[in-house]
Amino acid sequence: MTATWAWLVLLFPLLGSLLIGTGFRVLPARAAGLIGVGAIVAAFVCGILALIGLQGEPSESRHVASSLWEYAAVGDFKIDLGIYVDPLSIFMVLVVTGVSSLIHIYSYSYMKSDQGYHRFFSYLNFFVFSMLVLVLAGNFVMLIVGWALVGFASYALISYWYRRNTATKAGMKAFVINVIGDIGLYIAAILIFKNLGSVDYGTVFEKAPEVFSTNEWEIVAICLCLLVGAFAKSAQMPFHTWLADAMEGPTPVSSLIHAATMVTAGVYLIARCHSLFELAPTAADVAAFVGLATLLIAGTIAIAVTDLKRIIAYSTMSQIGYMFVGVGIGAYSAGMFHLMTHAFFKALLFMAAGSIIAAMANMQDIDKMKGFRKAMPFTAAMLIIGALALSGFPGTSGWFSKDEIIDFAHFRGGMYDWMWIGMLVGAFMTAVYSFRIIFRILPGPACEEAEYLIEKGHVIHGEAKNPATGELEDTEVGYPGEEHHIAEQAGGMKFAMAVLGLLALIGGLVQIPGVTEVISKFLEPTFEDSVFAHMHPSTGEAWTGLLEGAVISIAGIATAWLLYVKRPDLPGAFRERFRPVYELCVNKWYGDEIVDFFVTNPVKAVGRFCNRIFERLFIDGATAGVAGITRSAGAAVRDLQSGLLRGYAVLMLFGILALAVYFLIRSI
Amino acid sequence: MLSSIIWTPLVFGLIGLLVPKRLAPWVAVLGTVITLGLGIGVLAGFESGGGYQYVTDVSWIPGLGVDYSLAITGVSLVLVLLTAVAWIPATCFAALRGVERPALYYFMLLAGETATLGAFLSTDLLLFVLFFDLMIVPFYFLFGIWGRDRGGEDDPEGSPGRGPVSVQSATLKMIVFTLIGSLLMLVGAVAAAVTSADGGELSFSIADIAARGIPEGSQHWIFWCFAAAFLVKMPVFPLHGWMPDAYRAAPLPALAVFSAVLSKVGAYGFLEVVLTIMPEAGDLFQTTMIVLAIAAIIYGSSMAFTTTDLRLVLGFSSVAQLGFILAGIFALNESGANGAVLQMVNHGLVVVPAFLIVAMIAERTGSERIGPMGGLAKKAPVFAAIFLIVTMATLAIPASANFIGEFFILNGLFQIDAAWAIIASVGVALAAFYALRMYQLTMHNPLPEGSDSREISLRDALVVIPMVAIVVVLAFCPQLVLNESSEATDATVTAVQALTGAEAGQ
Repeated sequence: MTATWAWLVLLFPLLGSLLIGTGFRVLPARAAGLIGVGAIVAAFVCGILALIGLQGEPSESRHVASSLWEYAAVGDFKIDLGIYVDPLSIFMVLVVTGVSSLIHIYSYSYMKSDQGYHRFFSYLNFFVFSMLVLVLAGNFVMLIVGWALVGFASYALISYWYRRNTATKAGMKAFVINVIGDIGLYIAAILIFKNLGSVDYGTVFEKAPEVFSTNEWEIVAICLCLLVGAFAKSAQMPFHTWLADAMEGPTPVSSLIHAATMVTAGVYLIARCHSLFELAPTAADVAAFVGLATLLIAGTIAIAVTDLKRIIAYSTMSQIGYMFVGVGIGAYSAGMFHLMTHAFFKALLFMAAGSIIAAMANMQDIDKMKGFRKAMPFTAAMLIIGALALSGFPGTSGWFSKDEIIDFAHFRGGMYDWMWIGMLVGAFMTAVYSFRIIFRILPGPACEEAEYLIEKGHVIHGEAKNPATGELEDTEVGYPGEEHHIAEQAGGMKFAMAVLGLLALIGGLVQIPGVTEVISKFLEPTFEDSVFAHMHPSTGEAWTGLLEGAVISIAGIATAWLLYVKRPDLPGAFRERFRPVYELCVNKWYGDEIVDFFVTNPVKAVGRFCNRIFERLFIDGATAGVAGITRSAGAAVRDLQSGLLRGYAVLMLFGILALAVYFLIRSI
Repeated sequence: MLSSIIWTPLVFGLIGLLVPKRLAPWVAVLGTVITLGLGIGVLAGFESGGGYQYVTDVSWIPGLGVDYSLAITGVSLVLVLLTAVAWIPATCFAALRGVERPALYYFMLLAGETATLGAFLSTDLLLFVLFFDLMIVPFYFLFGIWGRDRGGEDDPEGSPGRGPVSVQSATLKMIVFTLIGSLLMLVGAVAAAVTSADGGELSFSIADIAARGIPEGSQHWIFWCFAAAFLVKMPVFPLHGWMPDAYRAAPLPALAVFSAVLSKVGAYGFLEVVLTIMPEAGDLFQTTMIVLAIAAIIYGSSMAFTTTDLRLVLGFSSVAQLGFILAGIFALNESGANGAVLQMVNHGLVVVPAFLIVAMIAERTGSERIGPMGGLAKKAPVFAAIFLIVTMATLAIPASANFIGEFFILNGLFQIDAAWAIIASVGVALAAFYALRMYQLTMHNPLPEGSDSREISLRDALVVIPMVAIVVVLAFCPQLVLNESSEATDATVTAVQALTGAEAGQ
C-alpha cells in the first residue's frame, strides 16, 4: 500500500502539469491555478498516507522498493522504472510537497496578472513532479532522470520571462552547469555498476561494504563523481555561479526551487548514499570542506552585495554549505533537519522579499528601500521572523537545526574542530547580513514607493524595466502586471506566509535535544547502518552548543544594529579602509571571471578555431580539392559531365525498376 | 513479405507518375503509410531472438554467387521501422505544402525509401552494395532539382562566414565523395567474396562470407574500403566535407529523411556488415575507430555551437551524434552496441521533426540564420513547446530515450578505457550548450522587427506531433526498442568477442 501511495505522489503533479499544459486554451486562468494547487496538495496528502503506511511497519523493515516496468536493460545492466520508499525519501516528499503546496497557493495570487499564467503553473507542477522523482528514485539511473528533470524545470522557470536577455542567459548558465553535474552522476552510476553489478539502491548499499575496503580509490572516485553532481545542483563551489543569476526567475520560483527544494538535492544525495560516503571518508571530508568554504565565502558576499534577491540567494548557498558540512561529517539527521527548517524560513524570506520588490516596481536594490515597516506591516513582520530564524535566534527553528550541525563538528573533534570554528564565524555573518536587510529596508522614513503604497493602497505603476539592466521591456510576455498583488492584500499569499512564518518560528520544537527529537527518531531506520548512528553529543553538550549559538546570533544582530542603525557611517568607512576586501566580496570573489577564464573562454576559443580556421582551411579546402580534381578531369567534356552523371543515375534507377519487375514476376 | 516492404514505395512512386498531378502527393503519402503498415506486420510476426527471419532467397546471378536474398534481424527491424516512420512526415509535409513538379519529386522521394529499405534488408553483400549506391541517386536529383542556391552568411562576430553555395557545386561534392566511397566498397565487396571463397565456389552471402572467414591480412585493407563508404555516409569527421554545402542547398523534407535515415545505413553497415564479416579487423582497428568517433563528437559539437545556420547546427550535431553511435559500435561490447542501435533510432526520430521545424522557422523569419532571430515563442506556445521537447531530446536529457542510448554507449566505452568515456562525455555537455543555444536564439529573447511569431498551423502540427509523441513514448520505455534489437546486437558483438579473445568483453 505504501508503494501505491508513493506512486500516486508522483502521478498527481505530472497529471496537473499535463492538464494545465495541454489545456491552456480552454482552461480559465483560475481553473489552471486551482488544478496546480490541487495536484500538489493531493500529492502531499498521498505522502502523508504513505508515511502512515510506512510507520505501520516494524522499524527494521521500513523500506519498500517497487517498480512499474523494465525501463531499459542491456546484458546484466538492468534498469527498472522503480521507486524506493523509506523514512528519508518520505521525509523529503513531505518537505517538498508541503512547502510546494504553500508556494503554489502563494503563486496563485502572486502571478495573477501574469500573461503566462498557465505556462507558469504547468512548469511549476512539472518541477514538483521532477523533484519527487529525484527523491523517490529507486536506482541511480532514475535518480539521474529526476536530477536532470529538475534541472530542466529550473531552466524553464529561470528563463520564464524569456523576453529578457538576462533571463535567457541565466537559464543557459544554470542548465549547462547542471548538465556538467549530471555527467558526474553518469560516471558515478557507470562506476557503481562496474563494481557492484547493479544500480538499484538496495543492492548497491548492501554490497558496497563487502566489495570495497575503506578509501579504496574506486569508491572514492564514485563518491567524488557523486559530489560533482551534488555541488552543481546545490550551488556549492566551484559550481555556484549559476544560483545568483537564477534570481531572474519569478520570486515564487526563487522561493521554491532556488531556496527550499531543488538546491538541497545535493544534501539529500549524500544522505541517501551515506553508506558509500562512509566507505570513502576522504570524499566525505571533501564534501564537508567544500561546504565550509562555500558557507564562509557566500556569507561575505551576502554582506557586500545590495540586490535583495541576491543577498538571499547567497544566504541560501551559505546555508546549504552548513547542510553539506552536516551530512559530510556524519550528522545526517541534523543536516536533513536543517534542510527542512531552511525550507520554511528561506521560502518565507523570498516571499516577503517578492512583495517588497513588487512594491518597488521591480527595483531590487536595498539601498533604495526604506520605511517598509509602516508601508507593509504584515510583510515586515514575516521578514523579521524569517531573519530571526535564519540568524538562529534562540527558540526559532534555525537555532535548533543549525546549532545541531555545529555542535556535531565539535563533538567529533580533531580537525573537525576547525570546521566548528568556521561554522561559528559563518553563523555570526549570517546574523549580520540577515539583519542588514531588516535594518536597511524596514525602519526610517518611507521611500517614494513605500510612501505611495501608504497613501494610495496599491503598488506604484512604474514602467516595465528589467531590474538587471534597466532596459524597457516588452510587457506582453508574462509581465508581472499592473495590478500586481502584494502579500498585504491577497488572501492566498497572506495564508502561505503566515503558515511558513509559524513553521519558521516553532518548527524547531520537534527536535529539542533530550525532549522531543522527532526528526532523528523518524530517520533512524534509514541511518541505522551508519557508523555514526549511535554517536551523538549528550543532551548537556547539545544544550551548551545551543547556548553558544544563541550568544553568537544575538551578537551578530547587535553588530548589525550597530552598523546599520546606530553608526550608519561605519559600513562606508570600512569599505574605504578595506577597499580590496570589499571589492573581492562585492564582485563575488570573481567566481564568474574565474569560470570564464578557465572553462567558458577556452571552449569558445576551440569552437571558433574549428569553425573559422580548421573547417575553412582543411575541410573545405580538401573537399573543394577533391571535387575540383574530378571537375578538371572532365574539363574537356564539361557539359557532357553533368549529363553523364544524370544519365548514369537514370540508368541505375531503371536498373532497379527492371529488377523489381523481374522479381515481381518470379514471385508470382 | 520483405520484398513487398522494399518495393511498395517505388510502386507508389510509379503510380504517382501516372495519376493526375494533384493526386500524386496523396498517392505518395498512401505509399509511405502502407509501407509502415507492412513494417508493423513484420514486427507483429517477428519472434524476438537472434538470427535471420522472413528469409527470401532467390538466385540472381548464379555464376557469380549473387543472390537476391533478404532477411530481417532485430537490428534491421528497428531501422526499417524508423525508415517507414520517418518517411511519412517528410512526405506529408511536402504534400501539404506543394512542390514544383510533384510527380517526379515524390517518385524520387519514394525511390529513396525503397533503396534505403533494401540496404537494411539485404543479406547478400553485392545486393547491399547495390542498394547502398542506389540510395544516393534519388537524393542527388532531389537536392539538385529542388534545392536552392544560398548566399554567403556573415558571422555575427565579424569574421567572414561561409561563402555562397550553388546547388550544382553542392551536389557535385556530395556525389563525388559518395561515389569514391561506393567504388571502394564495391572493390571491397568483391574482394571479400573472392578471398573468403579461397578458390572455391563464389558467394556474396554475408552469412557465407562470415562463416568462411576472410583471411586476416586481406581484412586489413577491405575493412578500410567499407569504412570509407560508411564514414562518408554518416558523415564522420574528417570526411564530412560534403555535408555543409549539401545540407544548405537541400530541400528540407528530403533533407529530414536524408539526415535521419541515410546516415544510419552507414552505422548499420559497420555493425551488421563490417563486424560480421571482418571481426578481426574490427578488433584491430578498434582504437582508431574510437579515436575517429570521439574526434567527430568533439569537432561536431564545437562546430554546432559556433555555426549560425540552423541547418548546420543540426548537421553538425548529427556529426557528433553519429560519433557517439560509432563509438558505441566499436566499443565492441553489448552495452556500447545496444546503446548505439537505440541511439540510431532516437536520433532518426528527433532529426525529422527538427528539420521540419527549421522549415517552419524559416517561414516565420524569412531566414535560417539564428543571429538576428528570437522571440518566436511569444504568440506560439504550442510551437515553442514542440521545439522544446525536440531540443531536449537532441541534447539527450535524462528521461529521454536518447539519454539511455548515450548512457549505454558511455558505459560501453568505460569498459574499454575510462578515459574514452570521460572525453566523450564532454560531448554531452557541449550538446546541452548547442541545442539550447539553437532553441533560445530562435524562440526566446525579444522578438525582432519583421519576424512573425505565429502559432504552428494545424497541418504542420498534424505532421510533427505524431513524431514528437513517439519520442515521448520511447522516453517512458526505451526498452521497447531494445526488446526487439538487443538479441541481434548481442549476437553480432558476441561473435566478435568470441573470435578475438573477448578482451573487450565485460
